[in-house]
Amino acid sequence: MVYTDATVPENGIIWRVKGQLELRCYPESTDAIKKSISQTFETLRSQMKSESLVFTVCDSSVVIWPNKDVYSPHGEVSSNTLCEELQRWIKCFHYLFVYSLCVIFVCVGLCEHTYMYLCVCACMYVNVCMHACTFMCVCMFVVINLCLMKEVSRPGPLPVPTLTRTLQSGHALLTTLPMDCVIRSTAHQPIGVACNHLLDALTSQLSEMEKAALQNMKGTTLLVPEPYHFLLPEPRGLVTIVYPAGVPDSQLESHRKELHGRFDLPEDRPYFRKPNAFRFPDQVHKDGYLRNPHQVLTHPSLDNGKLYLVQGVYSYHHYMQDRMEDNGWGCAYRSLQTVCSWFQQQGYAERPVPSHREIQQALVDMGDKQASFVGSRQWIGSIEVAAVLDQLLGITSKIMFVSQGCELASKGRELANHFLTEGTPVMIGGGVLAHTILGVAWSETTGQIRYLILDPHYTGAEDLQVISDKGWCGWKGPDFWDQTAYYNLCLPQRPRIF
Amino acid sequence: MGRGYMVEEAVERYLSSLCSSSPLTGLLLGQSSAQRDFVVMATRTPQREACPLTPSPRDTLDMEWINEHARQVSRMLPGGLSVLGVFYISDAEAKDTLITLRQLVFAVQKSISRDLLWLSGDDDISERVTLHVNSTTRKTFCRTFDVRDPKSTAKPADWRYQSGVCGSWPMVWSCVEVEIPVSLPPRGARPGDLETSLQEGLKLWAQQIERGTFLLDGRKISEDTELTGPTVCPGEQVSQVGASGGRVVLRGAVHTRAYLHGNKPTARLAEKALKRDLLSTVALRLNMVLEELMETQERDRLSLPTRVMCPLRGLGVGVCDYRFSDEGPLEVLDRLKEILDLEVRQEDLDHTQEEEAVTVETQPAPNEGVQRSELQAAVVPPLKPQGRSYIGAAMATVMALLAAAASLLYLDD
Repeated sequence: MVYTDATVPENGIIWRVKGQLELRCYPESTDAIKKSISQTFETLRSQMKSESLVFTVCDSSVVIWPNKDVYSPHGEVSSNTLCEELQRWIKCFHYLFVYSLCVIFVCVGLCEHTYMYLCVCACMYVNVCMHACTFMCVCMFVVINLCLMKEVSRPGPLPVPTLTRTLQSGHALLTTLPMDCVIRSTAHQPIGVACNHLLDALTSQLSEMEKAALQNMKGTTLLVPEPYHFLLPEPRGLVTIVYPAGVPDSQLESHRKELHGRFDLPEDRPYFRKPNAFRFPDQVHKDGYLRNPHQVLTHPSLDNGKLYLVQGVYSYHHYMQDRMEDNGWGCAYRSLQTVCSWFQQQGYAERPVPSHREIQQALVDMGDKQASFVGSRQWIGSIEVAAVLDQLLGITSKIMFVSQGCELASKGRELANHFLTEGTPVMIGGGVLAHTILGVAWSETTGQIRYLILDPHYTGAEDLQVISDKGWCGWKGPDFWDQTAYYNLCLPQRPRIF
Repeated sequence: MGRGYMVEEAVERYLSSLCSSSPLTGLLLGQSSAQRDFVVMATRTPQREACPLTPSPRDTLDMEWINEHARQVSRMLPGGLSVLGVFYISDAEAKDTLITLRQLVFAVQKSISRDLLWLSGDDDISERVTLHVNSTTRKTFCRTFDVRDPKSTAKPADWRYQSGVCGSWPMVWSCVEVEIPVSLPPRGARPGDLETSLQEGLKLWAQQIERGTFLLDGRKISEDTELTGPTVCPGEQVSQVGASGGRVVLRGAVHTRAYLHGNKPTARLAEKALKRDLLSTVALRLNMVLEELMETQERDRLSLPTRVMCPLRGLGVGVCDYRFSDEGPLEVLDRLKEILDLEVRQEDLDHTQEEEAVTVETQPAPNEGVQRSELQAAVVPPLKPQGRSYIGAAMATVMALLAAAASLLYLDD
């Protein structure tokens, strides 16, 4: 069994530069718009060579003029400074471990000035036969954030400003381009080299933005091109794709098809949908839900056993959230919400996680329940969960039935296969309780099994410490189940789309 | 315990000398800090030409004139210096003049803040001082009012004369490139549109400046300077190509300067003072030419007046004025005398910080040429700008070590 631990076989640094570039052009006529925009982009590209272009390193006092080979603080930082030395100037380190397609954050306070966000990085993501443990290796990346700026102070004296007026009917277009480039470097590279790569990345991002802007222009309306970063299986790593703003994923299918082809990726799972975009450590989820609480747990070790876990990111939904007092009756609804959150965050569904009311309404709309069901406190089971997934998200599910709880111990192979091929959370209902199964640890030889359970009956706050310590998300044995009750499991199937 | 005002000795002599021309109003100039305030200069309200010589105190204080004078004075003050309050010299009893003083100080403050391109922040001192000098006894009566609170009452303040108040004040300066392109609405629109468009363009530029990173001596001093991270501007998703009636571009460079008080000035203060000076100097110069721009449709190029710096002997701080290209140094000296009541010698004026604008070349004739060059020039977008500042006389770091050597200037280009 492979544990997640902090040994680091390889160091890498991710440089991310963000900034706003003004796009301003004055086409003479509506026919000349595209030509005018192209010319403007050409000017912007040439600005990337300007001596007044500046990178400021966030959370530090380091300022770089990459085209002038000037560094501040003068004398202490130069183009030959190694990337790893630059880290010493930064007050707050962002370490990044990435586990398959999801990113989790655990705050480990190392010293008062350093915050480490630990995640597990799967360097190799094996496609269908994912033996997550066998090929997992831990990689640590430091993220250095930079701001793109322009220096406006000059050695004077210089001519005083003149006001130049051109009165001529024409057109004007003014917008800002949200530049966002990422490059990777090793710790031992000099920062001068990294800066040059960043400039190249900025220049090529401008070209991609130009392409996206022109392709998606409708008459006089320009859709602002936006960069998205996606983490692809190694050795690709992070790639940046430019999408036009405001266009939903459903309309970008041909673009994604071309991308899957270009990067040699299978077309049965999404890599380039907007929700798949990589989350950097400083991008905190603002909705308040915990993501993947199971990743702080120590996973069990069984003789000849393997781990089969949910793939990707889900949110923990439980009792009493969203000011909904469903204590005692809403457990299956919460489990369903967790499942929905998984589909939404992997990019399979655009609609947000449904509320209790919306779930009930969906069942009424399908004819499964009477109208009075909406607003009631009635329980639902796995069958209803499967039905709602189909109705609201277009997801089909397999239902597994065990007539007695003790039979669940023999379902190791099925569950392992489910997590390998589908990787979706499983909703299990039986007796009077509903839970979510996030994975199993199973030994093919001994038949030993453990279940990773996410319990929707928790009524407290989003406190990761409490949730993991008290077992609200935790590993359970076969005796967790009511041995005589019957259980239905809803195994949602991952759509084979991209 | 009220505020404490440290006042330059020369101000005492000046106010004394004015007593013979009482009643008189005037302004007190200097800088406020959290702990104390420094008054470096005073200047009397000049006589309005058509006015009678001895107006009686309450009835005929020419508020409009006083306000106008205050605005003009404000324009001649580099960063860090501002109008701290008003003085009133008369032979009345001090307590009888409180209402007048209150009226004065509020009016002056209102008049000055109308022109500002920035909003005063929470850390800005809002107390202003009012000083009454009895012209017979020379006794001073000092009170402060909080000009942010319309109901504020007079608070006692400490008024103390001292020599060399601003003797060792550090100065920060920079030469900053300004580029403000403004798109004009289509022809046939209302005449006020030019001004509105320019004001909007100025505001956007001011926001960029305020978000910019400030370097002192080529270094970013992290502790007190507010770091501007990638600001998330509520991004627009869709942009329209709109009809435009032309455009106006303001392009060139300005000299900005600010003086910082000598009582542990911080990098934050330097940044704030210099940025505000930058915004003011561009905005008020633009206003100075705006009228001409609106009237004459033929003129396609107008240059802004140049800034002339005027360090004041023996004081350690300076003032400034703006000179149009058709004016000479004598006009500057006249204005310094009239508005600030200063006798300055021609050799004290510093014309070297800014250059005259480049003379207009031949009108570009072919349309293609015009469009392309205008396009090139107009499209160079200002990103979030920075100002690099050099400290002239002394070095101000977060801990405000005051070093006298000029060799601390950082020259890297």
